[in-house]
Parts: sequence; C-alpha cells; structure tokens
Amino acid sequence: MVRFENVGLRYGKGPEVLRDITFELEPGSFQFLTGPSGAGKTSLLRLLFLAMRPTRGLITLFGRDVATMSRSHMPDLRRRIGTVFQDFRLLDHLTTFENVALPLRVAGEKPESYRDNVLELLNWVGLADHANAYPPVLSGGEKQRAAIARAVVTRPELLLADEPTGNVDPALAMRLLRLFVELNRFGTTVLIATHDTHLIAQSTAQVMNLDKGVLTFKDGNGAS
Amino acid sequence: MNLTGKRDKPQGFAPPGTALVETNTVMPRVQAPLRTLVLALTVMCYLAAIAIGAMLLINRAVEGWTSDIAGEITVQVREIEGADIEQELAKAATIINETSGILAIRVLSRGEGLGLLEPWLGKTAILDELPVPRLIAITVDRAAPPDLQTLRVKLAQSVKGAVLDTHRRWQGELTAMASTMRWLAGAVLLLISGCAVALVVFATRTALDANRDVLEVLYLVGARDRFIASQVERRFLTAGLRGGMAGTLAGLLTFALMSATGRFGAPSGLAEASSRLLFGPPETTYAAYLVFAIIPLVATVIALMTARWAVFRILRSIF
Repeated sequence: MVRFENVGLRYGKGPEVLRDITFELEPGSFQFLTGPSGAGKTSLLRLLFLAMRPTRGLITLFGRDVATMSRSHMPDLRRRIGTVFQDFRLLDHLTTFENVALPLRVAGEKPESYRDNVLELLNWVGLADHANAYPPVLSGGEKQRAAIARAVVTRPELLLADEPTGNVDPALAMRLLRLFVELNRFGTTVLIATHDTHLIAQSTAQVMNLDKGVLTFKDGNGAS
Repeated sequence: MNLTGKRDKPQGFAPPGTALVETNTVMPRVQAPLRTLVLALTVMCYLAAIAIGAMLLINRAVEGWTSDIAGEITVQVREIEGADIEQELAKAATIINETSGILAIRVLSRGEGLGLLEPWLGKTAILDELPVPRLIAITVDRAAPPDLQTLRVKLAQSVKGAVLDTHRRWQGELTAMASTMRWLAGAVLLLISGCAVALVVFATRTALDANRDVLEVLYLVGARDRFIASQVERRFLTAGLRGGMAGTLAGLLTFALMSATGRFGAPSGLAEASSRLLFGPPETTYAAYLVFAIIPLVATVIALMTARWAVFRILRSIF
C-alpha cells in the first residue's frame, strides 16, 4: 500500500530532516511512529499525505509513484487517506458538523446522503451537542475529536494521525485508540505518530522509531 | 471569523434538536476585497452605461441628420455677369420640376439666403453688397430618387452659374464622425472590461491569499481545483451582479436626470436626446433598454470567468 525507498527530505538548502527512509506499510496493518520532538515525524507524515514531495528516493502510494503522478490525480489519492493533523486544521468559519462532513462534501456527496452518518459519528466522539458550534469555542480535546471524526468519516484506506491523543484524557485516548483499532479491523491501514508510550503499550502494533531523520523498527513488544 | 473581524454565523452550542447550520460554500466570506470589487464594478458599469448611452445617442442623431440631408438637395445659382439671375433661377426650377423623383422645390428669396449667412457674418450693411448665391431647396423622393448626375449636367448646360449640391460630403463626414465615435466608445468599453478583469484577478488573489490555510485543508481532504473554483465563484457571482446592476441603474438615472434638465431651461439638445433614449416610443427605447440590461450580465460573466481562470492559475502556482 505504501512503500518508501531511500527517501530523503530537506527544506530548502538546509540539512536533510529525513535520511534514507525505507519501509513498507502492508494493507490492513497498524503501526505507531514515535521518536523525540524534531525527529521528522510530521515531515514523514506530510510526505505520506502528499503535502510535499521528497528531495530524493521513491514513494509509492496505492501502487503509484508519487514523483511521476500528475497534479490532477492527487485528489483521488488524498480521498483514500484520512489525516488527523497535530494542529487539527479545522476551518473556523464552518460548524463542527460541516468540518467533519468536509471530505464528503468535497467528494461531491449530497448532505442528505451523509447527514445521519456524520451526526452518528459526532455522537460517537461525544460532540453531538456541538454540531452547530464553531471551532473557536471548542476546547482542545473537542477540536481533536472533531479532527479525528473528519479523518475517519470517509472510512479511508489509510489513516494517518499526528499526535491524535495529545489533548485528551487517558480514558478518551483509549476510546480513540479503540476507534482506530476498529477501523483497522475493517481494513484501514493505520499509522499513528505519537509520544504517548502508554498508548503504544496498549497495542501489539509495530513501532517505527524516528530519530534524527533515521528510521528504525521495533515490534509490539519493544524488540528491535 | 473573517477578514473584517465579523463572524460568518453566530457561534455557540446548538441545543439538542436544533436544525443543523449548513453554509452553501466552504470558502469564508472575505468581505474586504469583494466590497472593493463591488464598488469598482459599480463605477465601471456606470461608465459602460454612459459610453453605451452616448453611442446610442450619437447613432440616432447621425441617423436623423443623415436622413434629413439625404432627403434634400440644393441648387446654388451664382450671379454671373451679363446674366439675369431671376431668369436663371426660373430655368433651373423648370428643369428641376421636369425631373422625375422630385417631391417639392422651393426657391429661396435673396432675403432668405442672406438670413442664412447672418449667424456667421452678423447683420451688417455689407451683406447687401455681397454677390450671395440664390438657393433652390429640393425635396427628393427617397423611394425613387432622381438621376442626380443627369440633373447636374442639364443644370450646368442650361443655367448659368448653377451648381447642384447633393450634400454627399456632409453625409460622408457625419458617417465618418459617427464611425469614429463608435470606435471610441468600443475602445472605452474594452478598457473598462480590461480594468474589470484586472480588478477581479486582484480580488481573487487577495481572497485566496487571505484563505491560504483553508485552501490547504481543502486540498488535503481531496478537493479538486474545480471544486475550489466553484466555491470561490459564488462570491464573485453576487459581486458581479450587484456591481453591474448598481452601475447600470446609476447610468440610467444619469440619462433620466439629463432628460429632466430640459424642463428647467438647460440646453435642450442633449435633454431631448436623453428623453427620447429612455422615454421615447417603445419601438425605439426597447433596443436601448435591452443593451442596458446586458451590462450587468456581461459584468457578472466577466467576474465569474475571470475569477475561475484566476483561481486555477493561482492554485497551480501555490500548490
């Protein structure tokens, strides 16, 4: 599903923030991406959700080489990916309901066809009463849940989450992890970038450790 | 919150059972550049309405003058030494009357001829001493006009000092002037359209720059350029319509005011023409109103198409 071969990334003329990254995500797999702050986790995720292209190396997404892909084909691929951003990226002028429904609206679906599903999802993440609320009045945790709901509303084939439990209490973090596991059970490939060692310990998923731009792997039990 | 600091919708939590708030576009209302655009489009459509109205007035005036000139020809009989001018006038009148295609002739008296010169030379005694040519005004049948060349030859052969003036030169000059004015109005309209396009491009760029973060999110959730363009277009559709209608109405009001000035003793030529343009018989005003009605539509189409083109171009340059 996702293949990185000797991928390198640098911003401008600065040093490489990612060096010779090589890995493969199998369809239906579940993994964590961890590492200290500034290790390049967000950069790696940005490459995965096609926000940028690598400086070198090969990235294959859903069997297609990202480097040779035309601009017009990018939206099709992005619609197969759900993304939870570290800074949520909710649109302040849209309600929580509209933010969550955004990927469906962008894909051309009619509100009548998704309204009930979106409300059900909002109910599941505990935001049913906040459907008409605008992001500026939501708490950090509520924003995070809205961002997660937006990422999973299309049941994407690949879910990328950048610190998805950073602003929620442990109980809700576990609940969200269960949501990710549930999605994974239905076939979604999940990659979660997190510092939360407690969250990682709750799962036997593979752990990818990124440090100073170099990627290493551990299994769910912590062995390299 | 948008650029003006106003919220698009009241914020807060919806009580259970409240209907969902759903906006018709995912792009925020960026008031500042659009308000300026509406104002600029209003001014441009006003200028366009004035230019089009002026062109219609000139066209109608030239049409009227040309029609009057084409329906009349004149024979001038100069005083020639040794010839009795009254006899020559009588000969000329006979020849003209015998020509087919002539509806009426009128031999102007010497006094009438002098009267025509008065506006230029004033009422002076010297006028009586001038060898002023005598004139014969001829009304021709425009449906079956006379053979002017034959008439010219006959007059030249039989009447001493007779010259046939068909006013062709004036007709040509009027037509040339009308054509120049038409080109000028066309150039003004072209310039206005060019300015409108530049303004819409500028407003689009400003609107997109102000919403860069929104565009990024839309891209990352899989939006295509045409989806974003369609969302931006809606804002420009209303801007184009509002600016176009306001400007055109202001233009119409200007012509209406000009027609009203005639009642207060202002020079009546323009007032009468403006009045005929807007309040004349339906068969003549119909076309004018139709042309004016097209202005807001053209402004909207320009705003829409330019915004769409600009969005595609800008998106390609930033993503």
